[in-house]
Amino acid sequence: MSDAPKPPPKAPAPVAYKAPELRPETLPERAFVPELLRGLAVSTSHFLRNLLFSRDPSPDVLHRRGPNLVSTVQYPEEVAPYPPGYRGMHRLVPRPDGNPRCVACYMCATICPAQCIYIEAGEYPQDPIEKFPRRFEIDELRCIVCGLCVEACPKDAIRMDTGTHCKPTYDRPTIVYGIDRLLKGPAVSHRTDVWFKREGSDPPADGHGHPIPPLPGEGKS
Amino acid sequence: MPDQPAPPKPPPPQAPAPQPGAAPALVNLVIDGRPVQAKPGTNLIEAANLVGIDIPFYCYHRRLSIAANCRMCLVEVSNAPKLVPACQTPVSEGLKVTTNSPKVMDSHRSVEELLLYNHPVDCAICDQAGECKLQDYYMQYDHRPYRPAQAKLLRHKRKEIGPLVVLDQERCILCTRCVRFMREVAQAPQLGVFGRGNREYIDIFPGQPLDNKYAGNTIDICPVGALLSRDNRFKARAFFLSETPSICAGCARGCNTFLDHYDGVAYRYRPRENDAVNQAWMCDDGRLTYHRLVDDRQTRALAGRVGSGQPRPVDEVVAAAAEKLRPLAGQTGLAVLVSPQLSVEDLLAVALLAREGLSATTIYEGGFADGDQDDLLLRADKNPNRLGLRWVAAAFGLELRPFDAFLEAVDEGQVKALFAAGTEVPKEPSFVAGVLGTLELIVTQAQSFGPLVGVSDFCLPAAPHSECDGSFVNFQGRVQRFQRAYPPREEAQPHWRLAEGFLKSLGFAHRWPTARDLFRELSPRVPDLASFDWDELGPGGRPAPGLAARPAAADARPPGYRERVVTPPWQVKAARTDRPAAQDGGDGAPRAAEPPRDPPPGVGR
Amino acid sequence: MARLFRMLLLGVLIVLGLCAWAWLGYLAVNWLGGVTLGWGWGATLGQAVAAIVFIQLLFVMIVATLLTLAERKWSAAMQDRIGPNRARLPGLGRFSLGGIPHVLADALKMISKEDFLPSQSNRVLYHLAPVLNFAPIFCLFAIVPMGPPVPIRHGFAVLVATLQIANPDVGLLYVFAIASLAVYGVSLAGWASGNKLALLGGVRASSQMIAYEVALGLGLVGMMMTAGTLRLDQMVQTQSQGLFGLSWLPAWGIFVQPLGFLLFFAAAFAETKRTPFDLPEGESEIIGYFVEYSGMKFGMFMIAEFVEIVTLAAIVTAVFLGGWHLSPAIDGGLASFAAVLVRWRFGFAEPTGVLLTLAVMQTAIFAVKVLVLCWLQLAIRWTFPRFRYDQIQYLGWRILLPLGLANVFATGVCLLLDPSLSLLGAVGLAEIGVGIAALLWSGAKSTQPAPAPAHVGSH
Repeated sequence: MSDAPKPPPKAPAPVAYKAPELRPETLPERAFVPELLRGLAVSTSHFLRNLLFSRDPSPDVLHRRGPNLVSTVQYPEEVAPYPPGYRGMHRLVPRPDGNPRCVACYMCATICPAQCIYIEAGEYPQDPIEKFPRRFEIDELRCIVCGLCVEACPKDAIRMDTGTHCKPTYDRPTIVYGIDRLLKGPAVSHRTDVWFKREGSDPPADGHGHPIPPLPGEGKS
Repeated sequence: MPDQPAPPKPPPPQAPAPQPGAAPALVNLVIDGRPVQAKPGTNLIEAANLVGIDIPFYCYHRRLSIAANCRMCLVEVSNAPKLVPACQTPVSEGLKVTTNSPKVMDSHRSVEELLLYNHPVDCAICDQAGECKLQDYYMQYDHRPYRPAQAKLLRHKRKEIGPLVVLDQERCILCTRCVRFMREVAQAPQLGVFGRGNREYIDIFPGQPLDNKYAGNTIDICPVGALLSRDNRFKARAFFLSETPSICAGCARGCNTFLDHYDGVAYRYRPRENDAVNQAWMCDDGRLTYHRLVDDRQTRALAGRVGSGQPRPVDEVVAAAAEKLRPLAGQTGLAVLVSPQLSVEDLLAVALLAREGLSATTIYEGGFADGDQDDLLLRADKNPNRLGLRWVAAAFGLELRPFDAFLEAVDEGQVKALFAAGTEVPKEPSFVAGVLGTLELIVTQAQSFGPLVGVSDFCLPAAPHSECDGSFVNFQGRVQRFQRAYPPREEAQPHWRLAEGFLKSLGFAHRWPTARDLFRELSPRVPDLASFDWDELGPGGRPAPGLAARPAAADARPPGYRERVVTPPWQVKAARTDRPAAQDGGDGAPRAAEPPRDPPPGVGR
Repeated sequence: MARLFRMLLLGVLIVLGLCAWAWLGYLAVNWLGGVTLGWGWGATLGQAVAAIVFIQLLFVMIVATLLTLAERKWSAAMQDRIGPNRARLPGLGRFSLGGIPHVLADALKMISKEDFLPSQSNRVLYHLAPVLNFAPIFCLFAIVPMGPPVPIRHGFAVLVATLQIANPDVGLLYVFAIASLAVYGVSLAGWASGNKLALLGGVRASSQMIAYEVALGLGLVGMMMTAGTLRLDQMVQTQSQGLFGLSWLPAWGIFVQPLGFLLFFAAAFAETKRTPFDLPEGESEIIGYFVEYSGMKFGMFMIAEFVEIVTLAAIVTAVFLGGWHLSPAIDGGLASFAAVLVRWRFGFAEPTGVLLTLAVMQTAIFAVKVLVLCWLQLAIRWTFPRFRYDQIQYLGWRILLPLGLANVFATGVCLLLDPSLSLLGAVGLAEIGVGIAALLWSGAKSTQPAPAPAHVGSH
C-alpha cells in the first residue's frame, strides 16, 4: 500500500471560525495581585447591585430592567412565558354534546413509546358511535410529550394545543390524569363525523318491515 | 400475506418428470414460474399455497362449499382468455398460472375498491381491526384514496342477532361464508342473504335468532368485522393479543384452540385446525369456557374454615395442611377427590401423592356433571381429561369410584377428612359444601372461588391449564398437549407443583423443576402413556426441547406477536402413537402432494 | 429603592445591635469581675468568663453560624442569583427572613444525619480529629481585644473592664502556637478515615499549612517591630496616632505595612483552606480529608472554617486596621459625641460613663470592621479560581517567604533611620501607590478590545 500515490496537497479547508490569538501577558497580569483586585471589583459590583436594589419581577428574564442583575425566575410564583411554538399538554377533544370524541380505538396507546396511555372501552347503547372510552388515563409522569398520539389519532380526539404543562404534585396517583382532567377545550366536529351521516341514533329492532334508510343524496319520495 | 413464512428456495422452473410407479397420478402445473405437483381436483389457491404463493380471497374456505362470489382470487391462466377465480378452478396438466401480472393486480385493486365502496371505514371502533382481511388486502393491493363523491349506503350498524353474535351490515362484504357455514356445517340455516344488488345484506330470519351452538364460528370465519362476538366486544384490540396453542377444557372432545391473551389475561378462544378432533370449529359453550381462566380466580393460599380464611404464604399453608394430613395417611377416613379437569401431569403428581404420600387405595372422581351431546363436536362429558384420570388411577393401583359413592360414604360417616385436587363437583356445589361441612378436615386445591373453598380448612391456589404446560386425554384416547400462555396469577401454582409441596412436607424426595421432568419421571408407570412423546408433541417440534423451548408470552415477546404455525408438528407426529383412536387421519399418502395440515393463520377463518 | 432603604435600615439595626451587645458585655465583664473579686478569687477570672460568654459564644459563634448562610446568599448575589429563600418558619407565611430558617434546617440536618464510621478507620482518632481541628481555632480568639479598656471604680478598687478574654505578654506568639496545632486535626482526620484519598487530602493540607506558617509569621514580624510589642491591645494603641502628624490619616498597619498585610492575609487565607487555597478539601472534584465524615462531625469541620474566618478577620482588624480606632480626628469626635450623650442622659459628663459610651461605640466599630473583612474573604472565595498545587507551593516558598524577609529587612532599616513612623508610612504609601498604578495600568491594558476574530467567509 506504500506504493499508492499520495493524494495531491489540498488547499487548507476554509474554516468558519478562527480562535483569537492570545496576546502576551503584561507585567501587572503576571504580578497577579492587580488582576485579583479587578476580579474582586467585578464581584463586588454585582454584589452591591443585587444586594441594594430591588429585582424586576418580570417573568420575561430577557426584558428585565434596573440595576439589579438577578435573572432567577421564582417559579411557581413567576412563570416564564412559553415560546410561541410550544404545544403543551394534550387534551381530549370534546364533541358538541360534551362527550369525548375518542372512540377508544387504542391507536394512541399502541403507538405511545412511553406506554403511558391506558384505555378501557365501553359501549354506548344508543349512540351511532358505538364505542367510547370508559377510562382514558395518561400517566403524565411517563408521558414524554412526543405528540405521536396526536398523529395516530384517527378521530382528531386528542390534541396538543393547551400550551400548558403538567402541574407538579406531591402525590403520585394524582398525576395520572383521567377523562375528567383531560377533557377540556372547545368542542370540535367535522363533516365526516358519524352524527352528520346518520340521523337517528337508534337502529330498528330488526331488518324486516323497516325501510332501509335512504342515501343522503337520494330524493325522498 | 405478511404472516407467510419465506418461501422455500424455488427449484429450477421446469416441471419435474412424472415419476413412474407413483400411486396417485399427480397433475403438473406451473404457478408464477414455479413447478407444482398437486392431486387432481386441487384448486389453484391450495396448489399455489404448496409453493408458498398467496392468492388473496375472501369467500373461499377449505371446509365450506365454493361460492366464488368475492372475485378477489381472480388469476390469469393459460387456458382461458379471461381471469378465472382460483378457488373454483381445479388444477390441470400443463396449466400456467400467473398471480402477479399487472392484469391480475389491477383486478385485485378493482375488487378491493368495489368492496370498500359501501364499507364504513370505521376500523377505529371495529374489533376485527388488526386481523381483518379487508385491511390487509387494502394495504397490499389497493392503497388508494376513496374516489366516489357519493355518500355511502347506510345499513344496520349494530344488530344483536344472537346470544353470542352481533351483526354490522355496513361492514359486510357479502362473502356468504357465514351463510354457508350455518347451512353446511351447523346444519341450521339461520342466516340468509336478502335484497338485491347494491342493497343486498345478510340477516337472520324474522323471529329466529342465531342461537345455534356453533354460531360462534361465524365470528371466526367472517373475514371482516361484520360478525363479531358480543362476549368480548370492545374488550381488547386484536393486534394486542398473543396466541398460544391450547386445548378447550369444556368437554371431553378437547378441541384444539388458540388462546388469545394479553398481559396475563385470556380474552378468547379460537379454534385451531385438527382434522382428527375438531376440524376447524368449536362450540359456543367451549368458546366461553375461557371465562373460567379469568373470572373468580382463587389466587391466594387460605387457612381457616367458613369464609374466615386468611391469605398466607403458599409454602406455609402446604406445610400446615400436610401436618394435619400426616396422621390420617392410610386411614379409611381420609378421602381423596380428584377432578378430571386436571391435566395428565397434575394427575400423575396427585396420584403419587394419594398413593404414596397419603397411602390411599381409593380415589373419588370429581368434575362437572354431564351435559348435552351432539353429532358434531359436543360431548356429554364436560371434563377434558376423564380418560386420563382413569388411566393414571389404574396405573397407580388406585380404585376410582364415582362421586355418588363419595357422597354415600360421607353420609355413612366413613369419611372424616377430604383432600380434593380440583373443586369441580357434578352436584350443586353449595349442596356438596353443606354435606361436607361436617368433616373434620378439608384440604382443597382450587382454581376458582366457590362454596367448597368456603368450607375448606386449607385452600391452595391452583393454576388452570392456561398457566402451565401439560396435556389432556380426550375421549378418543388422544393425548393432546397445551402450552403455557402466561405465568400463573399472583400466587397460584399448578396442581402438580402443589402436590410436590405436599410430598416434600410429608418427607418424600420428589423434585420436578418442570412439568416435562414430572412427565418423564412418572409417565413410564402408565402404560397408556408409553407411546406419547411429551417433547415431540410439545413445543413446536424443536429438535432440542428444553425448559422454554418456545418462548411464552411472558418472555419478552411483543404484544400481538402471533406464532407462525404452518404445520403443527404435534399433529403430524401424532400419527406415531400406536393407538388406533389417535390416528391423525394419516393414510400414508405423500405429504408433499397434500395441502398442508394447517393453513397459516388467517386463511382458515 | 425600597430595597435600598431596607438594607440601610438593616445596617443601622446591626450597628445598634452591636452597640447593645457591647454595652451588655462591658457591664457583664465589670459585674462578674466585681463578683469574683469579692469572693477573693481575683477580678481576672470573672472578667475572662464574662468575656468568653460575650465574645466567643455570642459574637464568634453567632457570626460564624450566620456566615454559613451568608456564604450562600452572598455568593448568590455575586453570581446574579437569589440564594436560599424557601425554608419557612411555621406561622410566618411567605416571609423567608432572608433565608435564616435555612440555618436551622442545616443544623437539624447535620444533627439528624447518620454518624458514619468507616470500617477501616482508627476509631479513637477518627472521633478525635474534628475536635482537634475545631478547638485550636476556637481558642485563637482569646487574645483579640474587641474593645478598649475602661477603668471602673469598684468600691476601693478600680477594675479595668475590657472585652478581651486574655492578654498575655506573648500576644501574637500565642496565635502562631495555637494555629499550628490545627494541622494535627486535619492530618489526623485524613489518616484516621482509613481512606487513601482522605489521607492524600490530609497530606496536602499539612504540607500547605506548614508552607504558609512561615509567611504567616513573617507577615506579622514587621508589624511587631513597628509597634515594638507582641500584645494586641498595645498594637491597637500604636495605630491610634496619626501618620505624619496628620489627624485624618491614621497610622494603621495597612498603611505602614501594606506588604506585611498582604503577606499575612494571603497566608492566613491559605490556613483557612478556602478557595483559592482549597486543595485539601476540594469537595466536588479532588476528594479532601473529611470525605468520610458525616453529620455533626463534618459540621465541626465546616463551622471551624467559619470560626477561622471570623478569627482571621479580627486579628487583621486588630493588627492592620487600627482595631477600634478610625483616625485621631474621628476618635476625638466620637469622644465628644459620647460626652454629649452622657450629659444629655445624666446632666453632666460623668467620666466613667463617657469612657464606657466611647468604648461601646468603638467596640461596634471593631465588630463592623470584622464583618467587612468576613465579607471580603467570602468575596475572594467566590471570585478567584483555585490554584494548582505546584502554584501553591511556589507562592508560599518562593514568593511570600522572600517578600516577607525583604519586608522585615526594609522595616528594620526604616525604623533605624526614623524611629517615628513617618518614613515607614511614606514607604508604605509608596507601595500602595505602586499597587494602584499597576492596577490602573492593567485595567487600561486589558480593557482594550480584543482582536476581532477572523471570519473566513466560506459560506
